Amino acid sequence: MTTRGTFVRSAAALGAGVAAGSPIASLATRKNQVTDADVSALYAAAKKEGKVVWWTGHYTQAAAEKIAGAFKAKYPGIEVELLRQTGQVLFQRLTQDLKSNVHQVDVFASTDEAHMTILKKQNTLAQFVPGDIDKIPKEYQHLDPEDTYQLGDIALMLINYNPKKLPAPRKWNDLLDPHMKDLISMGHPGFSGYVGNWVVAMNDKYGWDNYFKKLAQNNPKIGRSVFDCTTDIVSGERVVGPGADSLALERKAAGNSIAIAFPEDDTILVTAPVTVLKEAPHPNAARLLMNFYYTKEYSQTAASTFNLPLRLDVPSPTGVRIDRMRTYHVKIERLLGGIPEVTAKWRETFNV
Amino acid sequence: MASVTAPRRVDRSGSFDPGPIFFIGAVVVLAILVIVPIGWLLLISLQHVDTGGFTFGNYVEAFTKSIYLRPIVNSFMLATSVATLAALIGTPLAWLIARTDMPGRTGLRALITAAFVTPSFIGAEAWILLAAPNSGWINRTIASFTHADHGPLNIFSLGGAIFVMALYNVPYTFTFVAGGLELISVELEDASSTLGASAWRTMRSITLPLVMPAIVAGFIMSFLEALAEFGTPAFLLIPARTQVVTTQLYLFFQFPVRTELAAAYAMPLIGVTLGLLLLQRRILGRRKFTVVGGKGGKRRLVALGPWRWPLLAAALAVPLCSVILPYLALLATSLSRIWSQGPVPGNITFYWYHWALFENAPTRLAIFHSLWYGAAAATIATTIAFLIAYTANRKLFPGAQALGIVCMAPFVVPGIVLAIGIYAAYSHPPLLLYGTAAILIIAFTTRFLPIAYSNLNTMVAAINTDLENAARTLGATRLRALRTITAPLLRRGLLASWLLVFIPAIRELSSAIFLFTPRTATMTTQIFDFTDAGNYEAVATLAIIILAITLVIVSAAYRLLGRDFMEKTST
Repeated sequence: MTTRGTFVRSAAALGAGVAAGSPIASLATRKNQVTDADVSALYAAAKKEGKVVWWTGHYTQAAAEKIAGAFKAKYPGIEVELLRQTGQVLFQRLTQDLKSNVHQVDVFASTDEAHMTILKKQNTLAQFVPGDIDKIPKEYQHLDPEDTYQLGDIALMLINYNPKKLPAPRKWNDLLDPHMKDLISMGHPGFSGYVGNWVVAMNDKYGWDNYFKKLAQNNPKIGRSVFDCTTDIVSGERVVGPGADSLALERKAAGNSIAIAFPEDDTILVTAPVTVLKEAPHPNAARLLMNFYYTKEYSQTAASTFNLPLRLDVPSPTGVRIDRMRTYHVKIERLLGGIPEVTAKWRETFNV
Repeated sequence: MASVTAPRRVDRSGSFDPGPIFFIGAVVVLAILVIVPIGWLLLISLQHVDTGGFTFGNYVEAFTKSIYLRPIVNSFMLATSVATLAALIGTPLAWLIARTDMPGRTGLRALITAAFVTPSFIGAEAWILLAAPNSGWINRTIASFTHADHGPLNIFSLGGAIFVMALYNVPYTFTFVAGGLELISVELEDASSTLGASAWRTMRSITLPLVMPAIVAGFIMSFLEALAEFGTPAFLLIPARTQVVTTQLYLFFQFPVRTELAAAYAMPLIGVTLGLLLLQRRILGRRKFTVVGGKGGKRRLVALGPWRWPLLAAALAVPLCSVILPYLALLATSLSRIWSQGPVPGNITFYWYHWALFENAPTRLAIFHSLWYGAAAATIATTIAFLIAYTANRKLFPGAQALGIVCMAPFVVPGIVLAIGIYAAYSHPPLLLYGTAAILIIAFTTRFLPIAYSNLNTMVAAINTDLENAARTLGATRLRALRTITAPLLRRGLLASWLLVFIPAIRELSSAIFLFTPRTATMTTQIFDFTDAGNYEAVATLAIIILAITLVIVSAAYRLLGRDFMEKTST
C-alpha cells in the first residue's frame, strides 16, 4: 500500500513538473506518453522499491536473463525477479493468483494477445504508454486503443529444420507429406501462445480436417513450448517442425545443424503483448521495465539473442526487415475465441 | 494482598496441567491439515461451477465424456503393468539377496536403497537422455553399430513409462519380500526336502506361498504409487500423446481452471486407494500370523554354486537401469555446456553448478525452499504424530483413537488429489494461504503425516508406562512427563520419523506442482519448469543436487539409526 501511495504521489509531482515546463525535447507527443523526466522520476522511485517481478512468455530462459541483465545495467539498484514459462502457463498462474487476490507480478509479457483482453475485462491492467513507442513499426503502435497493454515482442512462426537431413521445406503443407512421418516435433497450443497463434492461422487458412487431421497421421512429437521443436531438431530427436525464429538462429550460430525456412504461404507473425498490472507490488519499477522495452538497449539485446528488435533503427538478426516478409497476422478478435477452440480440437485430434 | 495471592497462584500453576490445551491445539492443526482439505474436495465436487449450488453435474461430465474416460483406462493399464513388472523383478531379487550366497549382496542392497530414494520423474528425465528414439545415447550407440536410422528403444511410449516406473517401484516388492524371507524359518523348508521334495518343489509349495502376502502387498503399493504418479507420465506420456488420470487432472488446472471437475474426477482415486489399502492390511495381518506360527529358527543361505556369478550379473541389471546409467547420464549432462554435443572435451564444464548455486537467484531460492519446507513439514508432522500417538495410546480422552485414524487418512489420498483439496480450501478467505510457503508446508505435512504417525504409533505403544507413572506420582504434569521421560525414550523414533517425512518432502512434485507460485518454487517445480524448452543441462544439474542432498542424509541416517529405518516407509 505504501509503495502504491508513493507511486501516486510521484506521478502527481511529475504531472506538475511537466505542466511547469520540463525540457521541451522530452515532452511527449501522445496522450500519457512517458517523458524523459518521468523516467528519471520512475527510476528514483523504483530504486526505493528495489525490485521488479517480471513474468515473460517471450524469449528463451537465456535470452530473458540477458535482457534482465541489460535492464540492471541501465538501472542499477533494481533487482529483476524473472520467471520465464510458456504463455498459457503464466496466464493460468496469474489468473489463479488474481482469483485468490494474490498480487506478486509487476510486468506480465504474454505470447497470446487474447490474455490481455480477458485481463482488461477484469480491470486488472494499468494504462501505460512507453516513451519511445513511436520508434516501432507504425501498425503496432496502437495494439490496444486504451493503452492497457502494448507490443512486447514480434515473433515469427516459421519452419525449423535440419538441413543435413532435409531440403528446405517451402510450404506449411510440406509438413503433411507422408515422407515427414516420425520427423516432426512441435509445441502445444494449450501451453504456448505462439503455437496457439500458428494453429489458429493454419486452421483458418486450410481448415482443421485438411491440415491437422493429416498432420496427426505423420505422428508428430508434441511437447509444450514452441521451443521444444527447436530443441528436438538440435538434439537429433526429430528433423523438422513449426518453430520460432529466435532459438533456431541462436542454436545455428552455436554450430548446430539447424536452419529456418520462411514458408511461401506466409510466415505467421505474432504480436506478443506486455502490460503492467494495476495492483503491481512495485508500480514504479514495473513502469520503468515496461518503458525499457522500447529503448535502444532493449532492442539491441533482443537482436543479440536472435530476437526481432522492436525498434526499426536496430537491424534484425537475419538482416530481413519485418516489412519485407510475407506475413500472416491473426487479429486479436479471432485469437480470443480461436485459441480455446483450436486447443479443444487439438486435444481430440492429438489426444493430448 | 499480594503476599496472600502469590502463593495461591503458585499452587494453582503447580496443579494446572496445560496438557489438554496442547492436545486440543494438535487436534485443531490436524483439522487444518487433513479434515478441511478432504472435506472441501468433497464439497466442491458437488458444486456447480458458476452458481455454487448443489449438483452431480461434475461427476456426470467427468465420467461420461470419452476424452476423460480414456485416461482412466490408461492409468489402470499403466498401474497394473508397473506393479506386475516390479513384482516380477523384485521377488527374485529379494530371494537372491536375502537367502542365497550370491556375492555383492550388501552393495546391491545399497543400490536398491538409492533407487528407493530416487524420484521416478528424475529417472524419467535421465531415461529421456538415454533412450529417446533418435537422440538417446543408448539408441545412438546401437544405431551406430547396426547402421539403422534410429535405435530400437522409444522411451516416449506407454511401454517406456511402465519400464521407468517399474524400476523405481522394485524397492517396494523387494523390501516387503526380503523382510518376509528373513522371517521364514528354515525348518519348514528342511522338512520339505527331508520328505523328498526337490528344491524347486520346496520353493513352489513352501517358500513362495509363505511370502505371497508380501508379494501382494508390494504389488498393491506399486500399483497405488503408479496410479498417483504425475511427473513420469508428464515427461514420457505427453509426448507419446497418452493421457493418464494425473496428467488429465493437471490439464483441468490449465486456464480456465476447473477445480470442481478436477475434484469429481479425482474421487475414484481415493476410493480405489482406500479399498486396496484395506486389502493390503488384511493380507499383511495374515502374514504376521503365519510368521509367528513358524518358529523363528536359524536361516541358512542357499548355495548357488556355479550360478553365483551369472545370477549376480542378472541382479545387477536392475540397479544398472535404475541407478547407475541414469545417474551417469544426469551427471554427464550437468557437466556439459551443451548436452546434445555429449561429454566430449571442450564441452565439459562446471558452469551449470555455478549457475544453479550462485548465479541464478530463483534456482538458489528453490533449493533453499525445498530444504526449509521439508524441514518445517518434518517438524510439524513429527510433533503432531507424536502427540496424537501418545493421546491415542494412553486413551487420554474418549474417542482419542479416532484421531489416529484421522492421522492415517491422508494415506488414502494421492498427493495430486490432496493438492487439489488444499488448493480448494486455502485459495480464498478466511484462510488465504495460496501463494505463501504455508500452503506447501501444509501439503507436505499432510501427505507424509501417516508415515510419521505409523512409525511413532508402534514405538509409543511399545513404551512401558511405569516410568511416566512414577514421574506423575512424584508430581510432574503430563506435559513434563512427556518432555522429560517419553520423548527422550523415543529419541531415535522421533529422528527417524523426521527423516521419513523430510526425505520424501524435498523430492515431492505431484502436490507442489498445483500449489507453488514462482515465489515459492521448489527444486522439483523448477525441474518441471526447466524441462519445458529443453533446458536439459539445468534439469540434470538440479536433479544431481537433489540426489546428492538425499543420499547424504540417507547415509547419515543409516549410520545413526541402522539399516532398517528406511524400510518403515513401506509399512
